[in-house]
Amino acid sequence: MRALNLILLFLVIATPAYAADIAVALADDRVEVDANFAGAELTLFGAVTGADGKADDYDIIAVINGPTGDFNVRPLEQRGIIWLPGAPTTIENAPRFYATSATRRISDIAPLPDQAKYELGVDNIGAIDLYADTDAAHPFHAAFVDALETQGRYQDSIGGVSFLKGALFTIQAALPANTPVGEYTVDVYLYRDGVMINRDSAALRVNKVGLERRIYDLAHQRPVLYGLLCVAVSLLAGWIAGLAFRKS
Amino acid sequence: MQIYLPIAEITVDPFVIVFLGAAVGFLSGMFGVGGGFLMTPLLIFYGVPPAVAVGTEASQIVASSVSGVLAHFRRKTVDLQMGGFLVAGGAVGAVIGIMIFRYFRAIGQIESFISIAYVVFLGAIGLLMLMESLRALLRDPKAKRTRRKHRSAEWMAAMPFAMRFRRSGLYISPIPPIILGFLVGVLAAIMGVGGGFVMVPAMLYILNMPTKVVIGTSLFQIIFVTAIATVLHAAANQTVDILLALLLLTGGVIGAQIGARAGRRLKGEQLRALLALIVLAVCARLFFDLALPPTALFVVEPAL
Repeated sequence: MRALNLILLFLVIATPAYAADIAVALADDRVEVDANFAGAELTLFGAVTGADGKADDYDIIAVINGPTGDFNVRPLEQRGIIWLPGAPTTIENAPRFYATSATRRISDIAPLPDQAKYELGVDNIGAIDLYADTDAAHPFHAAFVDALETQGRYQDSIGGVSFLKGALFTIQAALPANTPVGEYTVDVYLYRDGVMINRDSAALRVNKVGLERRIYDLAHQRPVLYGLLCVAVSLLAGWIAGLAFRKS
Repeated sequence: MQIYLPIAEITVDPFVIVFLGAAVGFLSGMFGVGGGFLMTPLLIFYGVPPAVAVGTEASQIVASSVSGVLAHFRRKTVDLQMGGFLVAGGAVGAVIGIMIFRYFRAIGQIESFISIAYVVFLGAIGLLMLMESLRALLRDPKAKRTRRKHRSAEWMAAMPFAMRFRRSGLYISPIPPIILGFLVGVLAAIMGVGGGFVMVPAMLYILNMPTKVVIGTSLFQIIFVTAIATVLHAAANQTVDILLALLLLTGGVIGAQIGARAGRRLKGEQLRALLALIVLAVCARLFFDLALPPTALFVVEPAL
């Protein structure tokens, strides 16, 4: 366990009758994703205080929400002999990263109204549910979730939350290399017997570091300069290669 | 080992990319072609977004053409005057090409558009090359092809502003080279190719340029036009991944050296037949990706 000494645990006085408090702290409130490895591991520490009964009686759901963005979803349509994307439907302000981890299946922990209200699980993200009025799950919605799950940007996991000792627990989530940079929030929910007892949240910032990040920034902030640099680098590389050719 | 490509926004194995560069470099060294028309589809097959594959290939072609053109400058086999007109047309063509590219990107059809463009061009060129090389393989080796040389000269002579191109030994109007440069410029910007596979035959059979200046002059044009296309792609679309280009280049340089040696052991017609088959195979794969029922029925992309 890294940086356990950095943890600040807020110990709150217990209040009676199923009262327990939950608190989270991040090992790092800045996560840096480097080009050299395929992502970063996000670790949160937390504690349940004032709990009566065993740790096994409690369930925890952690929801990590990344920065939002707009997406276009296009159905593929057969035109003549080939398949082409049709007219887009835009999903606005969808999270560009979303992950949950829980002690058990979310459906076993939280009742349905809670799942919808607190957006627990990739199937309950409000922003992407354009067809909330219809009863049946819309293929459009499933396609969107599938696409982002394939990219590793949407994930539901069980067992990402584990109790260390007594009331101390950790939450771990894998941030893929394509994780968007920006502000993230982490919400943790404490459940017992299908009832939410308490919640807490924390904020963190995901940064990208290293050469790849500088390339990305330059390409998007000074695109013309970047283009000229690309040409300069290519000319230089080609010239060096030409010299190597000549000698051999 | 995995690295993250900043512009393509995917994680790749750098050794696979270097190997891909080497494989295409090998073919381009062996066949004496640029290889952009093979590299771009292969990058797409590997999972690079098509728009990034095109923009990145433009910058890689700059590099691979520079090493080639230097040798031609030393041998004085570059017609700078002709090259200048080709570049002038090519620059305008590249701008138009980028505008077309941007339009299809804005309406969300750029991936299909690139694939269709490749299917059409690779299909046509592959078939032409295959027929030509098969005919050459089956033909009496003494048969000559001189008839073509006269036909083009008549309409060319009718064009205005004729001038002398000393190094090519021609007295023609600059309009045909400008038009040729323009068409190649559009192709370069849209498809991420140098366009040598169109330009070289056109220079030989339409402009009647002597064989010895054709390759050097076309490389000269390709450098300028792909450099312009690179800057335009970077500025307008942010689709040039320099890290990807450098990885490809590293492999490409090595592959081209080996390929050039291997090419000397095979006859020209055999080489062309082989290249035609490779081109047709890539074309077929792209076509089936378009035509077969897709596994996912929806396309999800960030809204621009």
